[in-house]
Amino acid sequence: MDALNNLMFGFGIALDPINLMYVFIGVFAGTLIGMLPGLGPISALALMIPITFNLPPATGLILMAGVYYGAIFGGSTSSILLNAPGVAGTVATSFDGYPMARQGKAGKALAIAAYASFIGGTLSILGLMLIAPLLSKVAVSFGPTEYFALMVLGLTAVVSLSDKSLIKGLIAAVLGMMISIVGMDLQTGTERYTFGTLQLIEGIDFLVVALGIFALAEVFYMLLNPQRKNTPRNQIGSLKLSGAEVKEIAAPIGRSSILGFFTGVLPGAGATIGSFLGYSMEKRLAKDGNTFGKGNIKGVAAPEAANNAACGGSFVPLLTLGVPGSGTTAVLLGALLVMGVTPGPMMLEQRPEVFWGVIASMYVGNLFLLVLNLPLIPYIARILDAPRPLLLSLILIFCMVGVYGISFNTFDLVMLLIFGLIGLAMRLYGFPAAPLILGLILGALMEESMRRALQISGGDWSIFLSKPIALTLLLLAALSLLLPLLRKLRRNRQQPL
Amino acid sequence: MTRLNINQLLALLLLAFSIGYLILAFQIPAFAIPRPVDSDAFPKLLGFLMLGLSLLLFLEKPAAAAPQDSETTSQHPVSGRKEIVQLGLTAVSIPVYALLIEPLGFVLASLLLGTGLAWLYGYRRHGINLLAMCLVVLPLYLLLSKVMGIYLPTGPLPF
Repeated sequence: MDALNNLMFGFGIALDPINLMYVFIGVFAGTLIGMLPGLGPISALALMIPITFNLPPATGLILMAGVYYGAIFGGSTSSILLNAPGVAGTVATSFDGYPMARQGKAGKALAIAAYASFIGGTLSILGLMLIAPLLSKVAVSFGPTEYFALMVLGLTAVVSLSDKSLIKGLIAAVLGMMISIVGMDLQTGTERYTFGTLQLIEGIDFLVVALGIFALAEVFYMLLNPQRKNTPRNQIGSLKLSGAEVKEIAAPIGRSSILGFFTGVLPGAGATIGSFLGYSMEKRLAKDGNTFGKGNIKGVAAPEAANNAACGGSFVPLLTLGVPGSGTTAVLLGALLVMGVTPGPMMLEQRPEVFWGVIASMYVGNLFLLVLNLPLIPYIARILDAPRPLLLSLILIFCMVGVYGISFNTFDLVMLLIFGLIGLAMRLYGFPAAPLILGLILGALMEESMRRALQISGGDWSIFLSKPIALTLLLLAALSLLLPLLRKLRRNRQQPL
Repeated sequence: MTRLNINQLLALLLLAFSIGYLILAFQIPAFAIPRPVDSDAFPKLLGFLMLGLSLLLFLEKPAAAAPQDSETTSQHPVSGRKEIVQLGLTAVSIPVYALLIEPLGFVLASLLLGTGLAWLYGYRRHGINLLAMCLVVLPLYLLLSKVMGIYLPTGPLPF
């Protein structure tokens, strides 16, 4: 009953006309940006952060949540129409979505994606609503030692589940943490790595890094990669589904939503793994599994339900523990910190309007995606026809406005360029970018927890091994690093000599 | 002499970086009142971690093909001289924009940058280029400065 009352309270906030407008702006802008190949939810969120500057925290987070699932939906659109998934989370959608588009059923594929996203998103919000308060109660007992261990697990899980080199992922995470400690140490007032530069005393703003590493680096990468120029876009056609088709996708959507939600809750897993798991589960279960990859509607419904459910799931660790489980939720956490809100177990008690307002806004946002975005898709998809030179220069302007708008400091524009070039180098040499952003966000929090834990123990490092929860989390972190190595060993053994 | 592979070159670069980082970490002054952990503990930990990871990278074989990113997907770029020049000029345009934004104002500097870059990337329909940039830059300026109260330089323009 409590949850229902709280949800009603949340709806009171989400249905405020101003917040309603921001939900719409969020899902619309998210869809638009997410649709552009290469620009995923992280870039979309980073580009939208300047808009949240002067907003109340609840409104700001409502907008950002809208951008997040809008971007996932937008990514599906480019997967289906162009076979160019904007984000890895929608790659599985293109397996059957693009063949459907080639068969003249792009509208149908988009409609399935929208319905599956809506149901996946809605079910995951139910899960979030039920699990988050329970997890908050457990997390209240967490001290700095447990938090430190939890953050180590968050980082290692993201690195180990990335499909790039484990070592390169760890390097990216450490680099992110190194960036996070530039500036004045708030506990002692000591300057670290500022090189006497006044502008670095307050540290490097995460938005400068996020926009540089993701959005600007993507522009640079697209400049070096002219292949994407003239991809023909499939026509959309009818968006209607028959009764039989609805019946056929109902069960896969339900199953994949549950699977996706729990995958999203796990640190590091998220939309990509959720969507692949959903797709392969349905392929195995289906009687017509051999038609997967050739335009099977269940092959669109399953990954779409799973990736949206995973988005909802990823809010669980973010809102209840204050620890993001992915690069995208790390950017969301950064945005929250800019707005003066620190998520964590106490958020439910101290800022219920933010917590329940966001949950209720997710219902509204999902409804907007379905009711407003779907009919608008044929028009929104025209952005894919916009000349590439115009799009690239506009993204650059958005990056620079975003950076200049936070600090009014031209020094940060130069920093943006530096991080853009670092991001480009990372892409060219196979370093994943998500661990860097996670390391950047978690670095300062990890250092604080580590120091507080060591203050308590009088400098004795064994405190991290003497507390059962912390020890379990650290063992899980070690295991998450060992798993890819074991996988590699097994693969090597299976390969004939 | 055996040629170094790309991972080994990157590892050497990162090794040099981590040594520099550690030298600076050891120079972080101690706090006046003795504490169990001071400002230098975390940087030293990170420096040694990076050092160890660079050594491991040196030993890792480079992947046969460019793997895909966990957050975004892409193909490996095929770039020629033209693309590299475009990238270089784009990089230069950012500090130039930083120099111009205060004297010219947000609107004029952004229009100049946007239209200039679109031209550099090969867009030759100048009227549409200017119109598209105006349609984005002007509403963005009005939204940020007039609606959201974020100060953006006006330059010679009266608004």
